[in-house]
Amino acid sequence: MTGQQKGRPYSPIELMAICGARAIKDGETVFAGTGLPMLSAALAQRTHAPRSKIIYEGGFIDTRNRDLAVSVADSRLHYRAAAAIGLIETLGMLLQGGRVDVGFLGAAQIDKYGNINTTYIGDFSQPKVRLPGAGGGNDIATSAKRVVVIMTHHKRKFVKDLDYVTSPGHLKGADTRREAGIRGGGPSLVVTDLCQMDFAESSKEMRLMTVHSGISVQEVIEETPLELIIPGEVTTTPEPTPQELRTLRELDPTGLYLGKASE
Amino acid sequence: MASEAEDKRITLAEAAEKVANGAHLFWGGFGFQRPPSAFAAELIRQGKRNLTLYTCGSETDIDMLAGAGVASRFELAYCALEVVGLSPNIQRRIREGALEIEDYSNLAMATRFLGGALGLPFMPIKSMLGTDLLTKKRFRDKKAEVMECPFTGERVVLVPSVRPDFSIIHVQRADPEGNAQIDGIRGEDIEGSRAGKKVVLLAEEIVDTEFIRSTPDQTSIPGIYVDHVVECPWGSHPMAVYKYYDYDLDHVRLYRETCKTEEGWRSYLEEYILGVGDHEGYLSKLGTSRLLRLRARRPFGY
Repeated sequence: MTGQQKGRPYSPIELMAICGARAIKDGETVFAGTGLPMLSAALAQRTHAPRSKIIYEGGFIDTRNRDLAVSVADSRLHYRAAAAIGLIETLGMLLQGGRVDVGFLGAAQIDKYGNINTTYIGDFSQPKVRLPGAGGGNDIATSAKRVVVIMTHHKRKFVKDLDYVTSPGHLKGADTRREAGIRGGGPSLVVTDLCQMDFAESSKEMRLMTVHSGISVQEVIEETPLELIIPGEVTTTPEPTPQELRTLRELDPTGLYLGKASE
Repeated sequence: MASEAEDKRITLAEAAEKVANGAHLFWGGFGFQRPPSAFAAELIRQGKRNLTLYTCGSETDIDMLAGAGVASRFELAYCALEVVGLSPNIQRRIREGALEIEDYSNLAMATRFLGGALGLPFMPIKSMLGTDLLTKKRFRDKKAEVMECPFTGERVVLVPSVRPDFSIIHVQRADPEGNAQIDGIRGEDIEGSRAGKKVVLLAEEIVDTEFIRSTPDQTSIPGIYVDHVVECPWGSHPMAVYKYYDYDLDHVRLYRETCKTEEGWRSYLEEYILGVGDHEGYLSKLGTSRLLRLRARRPFGY
């Protein structure tokens, strides 16, 4: 899915960033990463969640940067931040300490329980591609009270068995995550350029929640080769408001993230 | 009160000479912030082999070390170029079997450095449970162990502490004795600087000790931990040093594009690392106007 869809004044990527922002409640502590999560967190703060606090793993606490960052260690994140400390502070004391409400993650592969691979594509003994690795993703997936996954929607990314389990979702579903000793709540929402998905209350299997305007349920099913739960009634994702779109574009005026259609 | 402070300054080449083939290094900086890029280039020029690096995450610098065959093992959480893309040399060297990576999470690595700094053999964390980070390993006999807390019964993961031969850290300022100030985020450098058996500090600027001692609360790494100090301006290029210079995103992109092929990497290696002779040669190659454009502006620091 690339570029603006016909007849719509926004692109699928813009809608993804906006859905991410809407997942943040006012007053929450948010663990963000580079890319769309950075835009989602900043957008939420400038619209419906002005009292939310944004954390970046390199050590930034409660950021208010005026220029867009390209890295979680970008010098731009210092400007008007409440504090600049280090990893033991952010990933240890804040996150593992149980003080982060919502964490954002991307995924190269995801399974129906929201487990995520960002390490290898191919067999572990002879991998085809080395991906970035866990970074702070495993830590966020483990300890944030809930996790929002933002990723573009491709058949090859929604898999039955991950090539490598980097970050824990709901493991094998039901209570297996809690039984493994993991404290945080795990993934609650997956946002793609086609739809939003959540996880069924008891089985913890991925479930279609809303489809984006112009996308059919059938299209989602075809692009999601895992046993996605399809409820009887699927609503359409609410359209971006003019204020959301205007604010989002101000955050990324050169299209560094919004201009990129995939990956 | 007056006492003779030791002058620990040596040259970049002398510092790299201290590192024996097969040595284990803590690698400081975090992502785009303060990596020891100039030290990586000097290790390459000296033809070091079989180094093991420990870091949370690093980018062009460790990709160069993998490309040149200087580092054959990494224990880390992250090795890519963030928005710019995947690490080109690391891809190839893994496929060739010339590089092995033992994967941990960022918190696991930072906590392993804290354990080394505290003189403890291992540390407990909550991360890695239920994932392949716990069960899949490359070269360590024991990578991580699950145990129940003897006090509460809660399940935790034990990770081995790291006590490398050297900690290599690039900072904004230090005095000749190695009392160092870091501006902005410290990443895992507080813990990492205390974990190494020897510490090599690279500093953008050497300041008089009077400067440090008039603001001792700003000291992140006291000289008591430090063995060698290297004055190394622009030593993190093409990455950033907060309040000194911004990252050179064009160069990071050039690196990524050029090094996608082995031939491209060979040409980069010759043009920007070997052919320039030393760090000053590298800076001359980049040119004054390019460097001045990257210089940080107040009050932003980038």
